[in-house]
Amino acid sequence: MELIAKERDRLLQRTARFLGLSGTIITLISLSFPGVVRFGDYIATIPFLLFLALCHVMISRNRTLLWAILGIVSGLAALVIVRVPYDTPPSASLGTAIAPLGAAGIACFAIVLVSSVSRIVLVVVAGIASTLLVQLATVQTAALSPTSLAIILGWVLSAVLGYWLSASVPRAARRIYSIGRAHRAERQASETEAQRRQGARLLHDTVLATLTLLAHSGVGVAPEALRQQAAEDARLLRQLRLGATPTPESSGPYNLTPVEETPLGTTLESVKQRFGRMGLEVSWHGTGQVLLPSDVLDAFLLSLAECLENVRRHSGVTQAHVTITDDATTVRAMVTDSGIGFDLDVIDDDKFGFRESVIGRLREVGGNARLFSSPGSGTTVVLEVPR
Amino acid sequence: MSSFLRPDENTLGVIFGRRTKGGPPGVAKALRQASARGATLGTSYLGVGAGVLSAIQALYGLSLFASQWNTYPQPLTAAMAWVLYVAAFVTALVTMSVLGDRLPVWIFVLYLLALAGAVALDFVAIWPLHNIGLYATASISAGFGLMIVVTLRRGREMLAAAGILGIAFLVAIVMDGHLTAETFPSQLNTLALAVLPTVIGVFVVRGFRRMVQQELDRVLVQSTVSAPRFAVGMLASEELARLDLAAEDLLESVATGRTALKLDPKTASVAASLATELRLHLIEGRRETWLYHAVSESEMLGKSVTLSDKGSLAGLLDSGQRDGLLSAVWLLMSDTRKPSVARTLSLTLGPVAPMGERLPNNQIPVPIVITTTDVPRNRVDPAIWASISRVGRYSDSTERSSLRVDIECIVDNPADQ
Repeated sequence: MELIAKERDRLLQRTARFLGLSGTIITLISLSFPGVVRFGDYIATIPFLLFLALCHVMISRNRTLLWAILGIVSGLAALVIVRVPYDTPPSASLGTAIAPLGAAGIACFAIVLVSSVSRIVLVVVAGIASTLLVQLATVQTAALSPTSLAIILGWVLSAVLGYWLSASVPRAARRIYSIGRAHRAERQASETEAQRRQGARLLHDTVLATLTLLAHSGVGVAPEALRQQAAEDARLLRQLRLGATPTPESSGPYNLTPVEETPLGTTLESVKQRFGRMGLEVSWHGTGQVLLPSDVLDAFLLSLAECLENVRRHSGVTQAHVTITDDATTVRAMVTDSGIGFDLDVIDDDKFGFRESVIGRLREVGGNARLFSSPGSGTTVVLEVPR
Repeated sequence: MSSFLRPDENTLGVIFGRRTKGGPPGVAKALRQASARGATLGTSYLGVGAGVLSAIQALYGLSLFASQWNTYPQPLTAAMAWVLYVAAFVTALVTMSVLGDRLPVWIFVLYLLALAGAVALDFVAIWPLHNIGLYATASISAGFGLMIVVTLRRGREMLAAAGILGIAFLVAIVMDGHLTAETFPSQLNTLALAVLPTVIGVFVVRGFRRMVQQELDRVLVQSTVSAPRFAVGMLASEELARLDLAAEDLLESVATGRTALKLDPKTASVAASLATELRLHLIEGRRETWLYHAVSESEMLGKSVTLSDKGSLAGLLDSGQRDGLLSAVWLLMSDTRKPSVARTLSLTLGPVAPMGERLPNNQIPVPIVITTTDVPRNRVDPAIWASISRVGRYSDSTERSSLRVDIECIVDNPADQ
């Protein structure tokens, strides 16, 4: 509110400046027309008009009321001086010529002065003073001349403009803040949504694998298998879009496990199917039903999939064994193949991204991995995560 | 061959730029929401104010007209001008309130025609008096009448209408009688009265809209203050959702056989780029701090603020410090008299210096440097210092005749959290 109040004041000041300068300039042009005012009075009035214009400019730079008051005083002084000498009647058009000065040049200060009662008193006093001075400068002095009425009109319009403009701001501000609140909620929701989507790593893993196959035009994979896999991934993505957070598992329509924990067995089955389609036959041994917190499960399965991927690419065999065991504190998976193996000393862990993608992931959730291999006698990886 | 079409947008390059024009989606979205509920963010209330001003002026004009009744050679023509004006004015107000702050072009044109008719009738009525300036009444009010639609039509259209009205007055004044010292001031006043209300109206509405837009921008960005240390931002989540959808479409079309296997090279490359983008979004999404999102999502800050925060230290600031820093930056950028002036500001966070003295509670100091261009030291608003002091201890200096602020911001050590 504080900031928009400042902006509101600035808008009011700018509007006052615009209106005030317009009125002052119009009066200056009128007075410059030969015969409207005596030359001596013209010369004497000009400094006051210039000072008034300075006040108009300064009021938008300085927040104090000083410039508004100085402006009103110098404007009124100009109205007094332009009428000199008072014992002779004024020229026929003098009143009309100084009307813009009274109705806009000075009245514009009403725009910035309507904010409090004491200031409104100042506005009323200045308005009456300028009306009377213009009335004095008009030829017909019987009642209020139309010109003097125009001065009153100018003050009323300025005051209403100032009031209305200030009153519009809080209304707009309320709308803006309610939009702001909605936006904050939306930001939080979008953050949560992004977390949910990013959190569905297992799903994205299989989607990315399929997309990668498609990127190679699906060469080397049976079309039927690829189609089946695409259908399964599309279904998972649709579930994700519709608000569920699916982990790739082919269980029935009802998920009876607690939300925080997901059964390992069914998920393992889908990993097995995925590798089966890509030509690596995975055999499972051991526990089928292990419940794990979802982040641990993610890390566990991603690491497992990474190991199987290494087997598929590097071992030279088409079969791998995964043995799942668990005790009170740990779930353990042993991935073994009887492939070519490698010398641990010769080939660094980093070669297969093992350190990053397997060990790193598991350590994040408090687990670990160990690698055993020698050339010609296959490879064994032991993955451990806490329960 | 392939029935799978590439999605319209590439999320990383944003090629098919719906977003290249206009502001950031945050503001656009909020504005859409705001206008969807029929709200006009205060301008409709402002329009009512214009109606009040015009009505007050019309009362004055009518009373002036009544007092001059006997001087008119054809008072009935002038009265018809008034009837036409008042009828058009009231009809326009009613139409606008019925239509809910909308003014279709054809109604706008009809309204302009009615105003033009009133001006013409008024001119015809007072022509024999040879002093347009002194006797014009309904035609001046027509100038005020333009003001009531100023919130609903573009500023340029309004200025053109006011300009045409001014030219009509000018031509009539010049053709009807000659200028003397006696008549000149009233002619000039009348000309100004016909044109100025609309011009001021356009000026005020523009200023008001700018103010509202700026405040909206600020409020939207303000929501980043409560974001976690690293956040994905509003854009990233939308893009991830769109990527997922594109992948789903592609996979679906493969699954149903709409896209034949083996894939043609074009579709294959779509799949490749989708995979790449998806991968990037999944791993890269959460590396940016709230301050980065605030700057990049804001229309105003995005243009002129450069942020360098290599260590993502901004994320460590607590919400009070964030609020202070954001509002200080905001004030520095918005507090300019001339909106066109290109102020720039650069924010540098860190690097964290090796600790000399031990701070209580194991907190660490993060140095923040704000350098600016075109911000004179003596013109800085006191509110800015108040905001900066909420961030931490600061010292200010002048660098290349513009403000530079060094802040020492004390934050909790992330290692303790």
